[in-house]
Amino acid sequence: MSTFIQVILRSLETGSIYALAALSIIIIFRTSNIVNFSQGAVAMFNTFVVTYLFNTMGINIWLAALGGIVSAILIGILIDLVVIRHTKKVHPEAKQIITLGMIMIVLGIAPLIFGVDPLRLPRLIEQGNLSILGADISYNGIFNILFGLLVMGGLFVILQKTKIGLAIRSTASNEHTAKLMGVPTKTVTMGAWAVAGVLGVISGVMTAPMTSVTLHIMDDVQLNALIAVVLGGFQTFYGPVVGAYIIGVGRNLLLYYGSSVWGGQILYILILVFLVFRPHGLFGKKIIKKV
Amino acid sequence: MKKIIKNPYLHFVLLGLILALVPTLAKMGLMKTSYLTTLGGTFIFAIAALGLNILLGYSGLISLGTAGFMGFAAYLSAYFTADLALPFELSIILAVVIPTLLGILVGLVSLKIEGIYLAIATLAVSEILKKTFEEFDFFTNGFSGKTAQYPTLLGTFELDRAGTYYFVVAILILVMLLTYNLMNGRLGRALNAMRGSEAASQAMGVNLLNHRLIAFALATMYAAIAGVLYVHFVKYSYPTIWSLNLSLNFLAMIVIGGLRSIYGTLLGAFIVFAVPDLLLKQVPFFSDLSYVLNGILIIVVIIFYPNGLVHMFTDLKRFIVKLVKGEK
Repeated sequence: MSTFIQVILRSLETGSIYALAALSIIIIFRTSNIVNFSQGAVAMFNTFVVTYLFNTMGINIWLAALGGIVSAILIGILIDLVVIRHTKKVHPEAKQIITLGMIMIVLGIAPLIFGVDPLRLPRLIEQGNLSILGADISYNGIFNILFGLLVMGGLFVILQKTKIGLAIRSTASNEHTAKLMGVPTKTVTMGAWAVAGVLGVISGVMTAPMTSVTLHIMDDVQLNALIAVVLGGFQTFYGPVVGAYIIGVGRNLLLYYGSSVWGGQILYILILVFLVFRPHGLFGKKIIKKV
Repeated sequence: MKKIIKNPYLHFVLLGLILALVPTLAKMGLMKTSYLTTLGGTFIFAIAALGLNILLGYSGLISLGTAGFMGFAAYLSAYFTADLALPFELSIILAVVIPTLLGILVGLVSLKIEGIYLAIATLAVSEILKKTFEEFDFFTNGFSGKTAQYPTLLGTFELDRAGTYYFVVAILILVMLLTYNLMNGRLGRALNAMRGSEAASQAMGVNLLNHRLIAFALATMYAAIAGVLYVHFVKYSYPTIWSLNLSLNFLAMIVIGGLRSIYGTLLGAFIVFAVPDLLLKQVPFFSDLSYVLNGILIIVVIIFYPNGLVHMFTDLKRFIVKLVKGEK
């Protein structure tokens, strides 16, 4: 029983990492109509910024994380100003390819700035374990779970209850009409890229202590987040988040009770099979096209 | 006479003959012999990119699994020829058919829904394949990599590097001819109609799922052919080669070169693979930046020149003609 709880607690931790990344992808998708494949690469870059601030400049880890958030906002705004704003007339498929091009740029630049050696980033809370019903979890793990939930909860409150949220939702539902109604859609899109960048770097800083900071640190998170978005459906903001927690829990259960090598792979196959029966995901609706 | 010169088939054959001159030039000392490997590799990648161009250019679907399928075929062929000692011809057929069948299976699952699902499904499949390459030691030799030999045709003709190069060029030209015929035949017309209006083409009796599936199966088949050629030309295969980066490079090739253009794909392959190797390596700083430059090129081409660089020549010609006429 205690191992089961242990596995679930770990899963919630990875689940919140995936959920933050998935939320970051869906925010971009809803406001810019782009599936942002470069989300992971940009998050990797910003995680490197945090690591650089901590390791090379010797700044306190919390301040370094704050520095990463600032850089995430700046890079998000930069991407929107330099690239995305000029793609209004570009075909939707070509937009996804643009984000693939951004991956190439980030993957090429990062080693020039930060070198090719794997780096280490410690936990935000270095020590301490909590025992729940015989299962151990570090304070850092609890912090990750709670902080992830807090950030996501905050975003959902903003989305549903505030004027800014209304602007985002109206841009998401129909950009052209929103513009006519006086919503500053350009600013909304720019803000979405900045927020997506911040969510990315938070998930990056949470991932970093479990492995080492390399060019491919976010590949796994990115893949799971994309699959979470597909699983949850592209039509809602909460669907991908739910999908991410399902993947986090399912993956760890399969890894522990199924196969320690193939657990993740089995989960992908299960999800692909699930999509045969519900092609639009858990919360997705079929969009009826009119001629 | 004019008809013969304008014959597109002749153009492909002529191109093949010109490309086949490279080993002779290298022997005469006009070219470095290392160029042979670079160019052969470029042509192999161009074959896989041609398949992806059918998929993306004609049906607007993105596959991120090209590298995975290519690697799968490469390992299969290496396993069949080296471990099972099957004849080269049989192993090439098996190594192309098995990944294609897998591709059709993936397509059946993910093509029911339009849009981005295929990209994500193929991304997941290529992750699964990559894990397979790493874990199935008896089949892939794990991280230490699998080696293969130059092909032996019909059991008697043992090819060397130049011979394999000729073989690659021959297959490239065949694939180009096949693509040209397919895209100017019924399949090409149907895909074009789908691109114009899905509803209208459906009303004309075009089955959307079937045609998407055919396009994806072709893309997988071409990737598999390229994988087989790769493993027998370069003679080794590591799990790390078949990563997302390679799949992205294929996308870069067709976007930069030109969607729906056969020559454009070759041009794109040349820009993405050969130019960094042949030119940029001479300049120390730029060799690190080639990946970045490709990324920037993709974005710039999509935003400012969406038809691809292959149209540069016709546009340039028109511009010059305009200039000359304007002066008169």
